[in-house]
Amino acid sequence: MKGGRWITETGSSTYLSEAVAIWFRDLRGEFRTRYAVNAILMFAVTTLIAVSFSIGSFRIGEGEQPFLYAVLLWIILVFSALSGLSRSFVKEEEASTMDVLKLSARPQAVFLGKLFFNLTLLAALELIIVPSFILLMDYKIELPGLFVAMVVSGGVGLGGGTTIVAAMIAQASARGALFSVLSFPLLLPLMITAIKGCEKAAVGTNNSGWPEVRIAVAYSVVMIVMSLFLFPLIWEE
Amino acid sequence: MYSLKVSNLCKQYTETYLFQDISFELHPGEVMAISGWNGSGKSTLLRVIAGLVRPTTGRVEMFFKGESIAREFRRRFVGMVAPAFSLYEELTALENLEFFCKVRGIGYDRESCLVIMEQIGLSESAGTLCRNYSSGMKQRLKLAQALLHKPPLLLLDEPGCNLDSKGMEVVENIIADQRRSGMSIIASNERREVDYGDRVINLSK
Amino acid sequence: MIAKVLVTVWMAIIIVAAFLYANAAVGFPGETSRILFFHVPQAWVATLSFLISMIGSCIYLARRNLKADNLALSAAELGLLFCLLATASGSIFAKAAWGSFWNWDPRETSIVILLMIYGAYFALRSAVGDPEKRRIFAAVYSILAFVTVPFLVFVVPRITASLHPEDTMNPARPGMDPKTLKVFLGSLLAYTGLFIWLLRLRLRLLNLEGMQEPEFGARENMDRVGEEQ
Repeated sequence: MKGGRWITETGSSTYLSEAVAIWFRDLRGEFRTRYAVNAILMFAVTTLIAVSFSIGSFRIGEGEQPFLYAVLLWIILVFSALSGLSRSFVKEEEASTMDVLKLSARPQAVFLGKLFFNLTLLAALELIIVPSFILLMDYKIELPGLFVAMVVSGGVGLGGGTTIVAAMIAQASARGALFSVLSFPLLLPLMITAIKGCEKAAVGTNNSGWPEVRIAVAYSVVMIVMSLFLFPLIWEE
Repeated sequence: MYSLKVSNLCKQYTETYLFQDISFELHPGEVMAISGWNGSGKSTLLRVIAGLVRPTTGRVEMFFKGESIAREFRRRFVGMVAPAFSLYEELTALENLEFFCKVRGIGYDRESCLVIMEQIGLSESAGTLCRNYSSGMKQRLKLAQALLHKPPLLLLDEPGCNLDSKGMEVVENIIADQRRSGMSIIASNERREVDYGDRVINLSK
Repeated sequence: MIAKVLVTVWMAIIIVAAFLYANAAVGFPGETSRILFFHVPQAWVATLSFLISMIGSCIYLARRNLKADNLALSAAELGLLFCLLATASGSIFAKAAWGSFWNWDPRETSIVILLMIYGAYFALRSAVGDPEKRRIFAAVYSILAFVTVPFLVFVVPRITASLHPEDTMNPARPGMDPKTLKVFLGSLLAYTGLFIWLLRLRLRLLNLEGMQEPEFGARENMDRVGEEQ
């Protein structure tokens, strides 16, 4: 065949470049179908409106606000994420493109590509929901730096902890419910940390070193590294 | 240079064996056909050889200059087409090929992809979304995807499904091309496709 | 057989000793402190089986040995059982001592997370049709869940805010009555023995089932293959 090349010259290709190819393909597909974004954002916006409508910004007393608002914010973020983060893998299975992907891409590259895609979705989710939540609920934050760091590191942890679960449930039955059931216990430590961090940021507790952010970062690193090790086992054959 | 060795392959579901004790060797220039009734395990045998399904017992080995190729590198040496496969519907044909080039780590090169599109007879609709393709056009594109990295081993599961007579010529050319340098295995019940094989394994007992 | 008799007799001795030999600790309403001899060993066994299940999962992934998966599965089953027992016995004590069945005390939080992990583990097992995939997925999930546990130690404050009695009830600290300590250690032994005996029984059963008949779920897989043809 004239157009083909022998594959022995693959030295220049890295896991990263292959992962980026998968990431961009998912983004392109997502841009054209808005499959996952619609699910996540509509879920998030609906919940946000429900919370804001039923509670409003005056119902909760000043003293209770930092804690309760942090809880509400993270419940919205975590459950919106759980409603849509499995889409990228589930869609591969539903459109029966998974086998071709298994035959052409290295598992670690697939994991990283899907992780990047999920992190992009989470970034979009947080960019829309967090500012709206602050505005609608009149959320006063004393330490914006800590707050932003907590939201970002919490988002990375959400993606890092759930991407491998998404790959598993895509190959199982009863996918939608199973994703939340499996992910939630894994996410609980992260969620409790993030709530505490956001509460401290709102109150303005002076705690040097941002322990909550550090726990969230450690959680993300551990989950991503473990997933990279374990992913080939659930992806191949 | 390359060779494939399949020894005592066996796949078992529940108490029934789908196929049992399949052994053969394949060398460059050879084409093998697998035939058998529906449900006799043709597709599964190809999936086992491709590494998508683990056999109950037995081994599939690929050799390059006599040395065994490790499992994780095998995907570089295998190209496969099957009715159960799909390409990405929300991408155009060319974007699909571009994606598979990049993900396989062979640098994407628009020109050579266009040449392949020409060979499979799709050059006019290279920019069309695959969603709008007919099933025959999709089948042609799947063939192109399997050939991108010029695999030494080509696994064709019902290569002619949904194809018109021109499409069948494309398949014929692909098999003739592959015969020059590599190995192919065709699973089919079509008289014409089975006849491409130098050897035939019949799975129906 | 001998193991069964030993465990039964020892367990009986411990139950009698727990109510008649050991003294009720001071500072607890009535006889409630005797929960120590049952609740704590149950919680210990629930945690131990979580660890064993994870080890079995690791061995399965490394060796693809069916028996290792059976070990992981049976440890998880017993873990769930003891988890429920510990939760129930703890709740009864909580009602008597603290006035409410459930308080979201840190220990209660961690046992709920453990329950959720076990629940998810079995939900995953029942949702995967292909037997080999089921074992691999379950093992991977069990390892992932185990990895998140250390974070709980940081996240859930252990001692400061806990309602759980520490000084008089923690054998590692000096305040414990020597008689209580003896019975408590004996009870730990009894529960661990009971757990090992049950585990071996379940394991033997699973291994026999694996040899005799094809696994549940293989059927669905067969159907799926049929479609592909």
